[in-house]
Amino acid sequence: MKRELRVEINGRTCVEDVEPRQLLSHFLRETVGLTGVHIGCVIGECGACSVLVNGRLVKSCLLLAVQAHGKEIETVEGMAEDSRLHPIQEAFARHYALQCGYCTPGMIMATRFLLSRRPDPSEAEIREALAGNLCMCTGYMQIVEAVKSAAKSLKHGT
Amino acid sequence: MEPSAKYVGRKVPSKEAPRHLTGRGRFTDDFLLPGMLHAVILRSPMAHARIRATDARAARDHPGVVTVLTTDDVKRETRPFKPGRYAAGLRKPIDEYASAMDKVRYVGEPVAAVAARSRAIAEDALELIAVEYDPLPTVVDTREAMKPESPPLYDELGSNVAWRGSISYGDLDGAFRQSDRVVRERLKLHRYSSTPLEPLACLASYDGASRRLTVRCNAQAPEVIYDALREALGLEHVRVIIPDVGGGFGQKIHLIRKYVVLVSLLAIRSGRPVKWMEDRTEHMMAAGHSCAQEFDVEAAVRKDGTVLGLRFKEIDDVGGSISTLTIHFTNKLNNLVNTYRVKAISLEGCSVVTNKCPVIPNRGIGKPGMCFIWERMMDRIAEELGMSPVAVRLKNIIPPSEFPYTTPNGNIYDSGDYPALLRRALELIGYDALREEQRREREKGRYLGIGVAIGVEPGGRNAARDMAIFPEMKELPGAGGVNGATVKVEKSGAVTLFLGSPQCGQSHETSTSQVAADILGIAPEHIAVISPFDSEISPWGTASANSGNNFHLYDIGAVHGAATRLREKILALAGHVLDTPPQALSIEDGTVRAASSAMKKVTFADLGKIAYGNQSAVPEGFDMGLQCTFYYKFPHAAPYMVPDKDHRVRAQYSFSAAAHAAVVEVDLQTGEVKVLRYLIVSDNGTLINPDVVDGQIYGSAAHGISVALGEGFVYDSEGQLLTVTLTDYGKSSAVETPRMEIEHHPVPSPFTVLGQKAAGEGAAIPSPAAIASAVEDALKPLGVRVRELPLTPEAVWRLIQRAGRPSP
Repeated sequence: MKRELRVEINGRTCVEDVEPRQLLSHFLRETVGLTGVHIGCVIGECGACSVLVNGRLVKSCLLLAVQAHGKEIETVEGMAEDSRLHPIQEAFARHYALQCGYCTPGMIMATRFLLSRRPDPSEAEIREALAGNLCMCTGYMQIVEAVKSAAKSLKHGT
Repeated sequence: MEPSAKYVGRKVPSKEAPRHLTGRGRFTDDFLLPGMLHAVILRSPMAHARIRATDARAARDHPGVVTVLTTDDVKRETRPFKPGRYAAGLRKPIDEYASAMDKVRYVGEPVAAVAARSRAIAEDALELIAVEYDPLPTVVDTREAMKPESPPLYDELGSNVAWRGSISYGDLDGAFRQSDRVVRERLKLHRYSSTPLEPLACLASYDGASRRLTVRCNAQAPEVIYDALREALGLEHVRVIIPDVGGGFGQKIHLIRKYVVLVSLLAIRSGRPVKWMEDRTEHMMAAGHSCAQEFDVEAAVRKDGTVLGLRFKEIDDVGGSISTLTIHFTNKLNNLVNTYRVKAISLEGCSVVTNKCPVIPNRGIGKPGMCFIWERMMDRIAEELGMSPVAVRLKNIIPPSEFPYTTPNGNIYDSGDYPALLRRALELIGYDALREEQRREREKGRYLGIGVAIGVEPGGRNAARDMAIFPEMKELPGAGGVNGATVKVEKSGAVTLFLGSPQCGQSHETSTSQVAADILGIAPEHIAVISPFDSEISPWGTASANSGNNFHLYDIGAVHGAATRLREKILALAGHVLDTPPQALSIEDGTVRAASSAMKKVTFADLGKIAYGNQSAVPEGFDMGLQCTFYYKFPHAAPYMVPDKDHRVRAQYSFSAAAHAAVVEVDLQTGEVKVLRYLIVSDNGTLINPDVVDGQIYGSAAHGISVALGEGFVYDSEGQLLTVTLTDYGKSSAVETPRMEIEHHPVPSPFTVLGQKAAGEGAAIPSPAAIASAVEDALKPLGVRVRELPLTPEAVWRLIQRAGRPSP
């Protein structure tokens, strides 16, 4: 039995019939076509599927799609405006803070969440905030530097 | 005029970043084809059992299921893989298919597959397949497995010791005779993996009318897939497309072929495209582990610390497959002497099959083990002789005056200044002051340790290496190494580049565009590097096969060669158009100019119009078009491209090197190790893109540190894997991963086109040894010796407890 799901995704309303057992991660990828949501474990360990739900950082594989009913979802695809990269994305590009790109969307969302709560985080706070997002390529160094740099850009931008 | 040096070595915008940062990377699982089915694989819950029967009727009848494969189907409809070079040393031919046949030999071995309308339906159907097993006694410990009475995994072999062999260089007996002391040690490395964040994935489609199979998959080496599909399915027309790959590290080179064959067979049988995406648990159980290795080492040393000879016996736990029997042993030849001048060395290998996941190439394969042997022995020799670990290393290190340096086994170290790397690392970390701090802190009950290790990162593979150990090999494996690239000026004046290797995070697009930009005289933003790799469009790049340690030699060499030829062509055509000799022309920003007059210029777009459409405007003898394909072969592959009578052979061709220094604090109560500082002084030759090289170093060091401090696979006595999640496995997050510092001391290679050397897995080679050294140093007052990894809090706590008691 499918159920009607109404969500706002990256600022647009989306109404779809979904199976109750479908995960939010798979709904976003397969039904909505937001393939920037990556699947690395499906049990909430790796963070590659991280999105914001009502402004909070959520691993979308740990939520059923139906649980997002009536909520606002933001994914990495919603970050750039008019094809201009968001300052967080710019900082990641400047610092070469990615290699294979698989963890990247989740890292961007985790950074967005962190900087929305703590605009000026310490390195320890950055590392703590990214602890739920694994990266097998970079050793996190350039990512941490990118987050620091993004924090600065956002501060100067406002 | 000579090409510019505007882009190589400089900071340039990443070509890969924009798509990945906006969620527009294209990974295998992102592709959809019309009518596509979803596959899932049934895996053995048992470590060792005979398959008595499989009943798949209920699954076949399940609504939405289109095709089910059992081991009988696989046997009937595919052919076994040819034992490739990874299986070198196998003494009897043993067929290995894409799935298990009559027997399962590890938990997670594939025993059936289902393709259905949705993944959910396929997973439901999987539960309806009944496989009857006759359990067999399980063998998980190599020492047990080697006993004659141990239940054999392969009846054909009669023993679980699947291979034994040895190789020796120099006068080892003489070395031991002349030594003042023999230093002995038993060392162990455990099973681990790089656990790429994107698990294995494949999308296969088959056009029955033309018998053409197309697979998209995240394999690192397209030729492995290409060969496997042709061998297993008997097809001539196979097209292999490699989209973005979410991390490789060697993990996606070999075993992935099994799954590509199974998914392709599902596609052929169903007549529909079939996609398969491995899940994390499957990946941990069955996608391959780095080999657990055990070493009995003896070093013949003089009183002054000089190592005259080294010999070791190695036992490799290769798991439940014979397809990668000897790779961790043969790879020891690649960094056999590490950075040291030793003249006599011998190694004896023993590959033992066990009921565990098969082993695969992973970040250095046997090289971290070889470095671990040397660096642990250096510390042990220092301890026994009462010398400093640094002094023993410097006593034996190859001095810069001896480059190019030929090692006893025939490797030619191209360039380097190893003592300078080591000294600079000590200086930067403040070694002397740290020793003082360590002494002061110990008095307060705080245990700090300083570890230093040095290692080489070999680059550029030479498969003929294997013949040194297996002279009976009938088929000469690819010697030297060949790799292609195509460069093309489009009609718009933009440049397009086709690489022979796919990429999985090493920024191939950015680095190669920098090289081509300098040669062609056009900014990198006007160069498009074509992704994905497509075997029907791209040139072959079999030597590079995507590895970071091969890319610099072969892909850069191929792009450099293709772009250089294209530049000559551009200048010849422009010279004709501008009525100026080519040597009086220069190229800048996609425009060719004559020195004689500012008015005399022609753009790439103008030249494109002529080369692709105007026969009347070209010089006599000009080949139409502005496109060059170049297959690079390493011009310095001789001597020792193939083994000589003394088994000397170049295992690899360029040698980066790095000194690592680690400062750790060990909590005596909990056994927890904290890395306070981690510093790397690295020589990767000419840096094409410093940010990219830094990223490779940080990433591989972080993995080596995580390997040393906790991550690893654990099996119980029944062969059940206990670490099926990343958390249980113990992967370090951003919190556990220390800050790292890098300083570059490049010594360009005389053998490569730009002086570049390998930059990929390098830092994963000495980092486990550096951490082991630091932890041992911290616990020196207790007399603790670190002989094996991982140094989990529990393992360190046990070392401390054992040291606390008087030895029996």
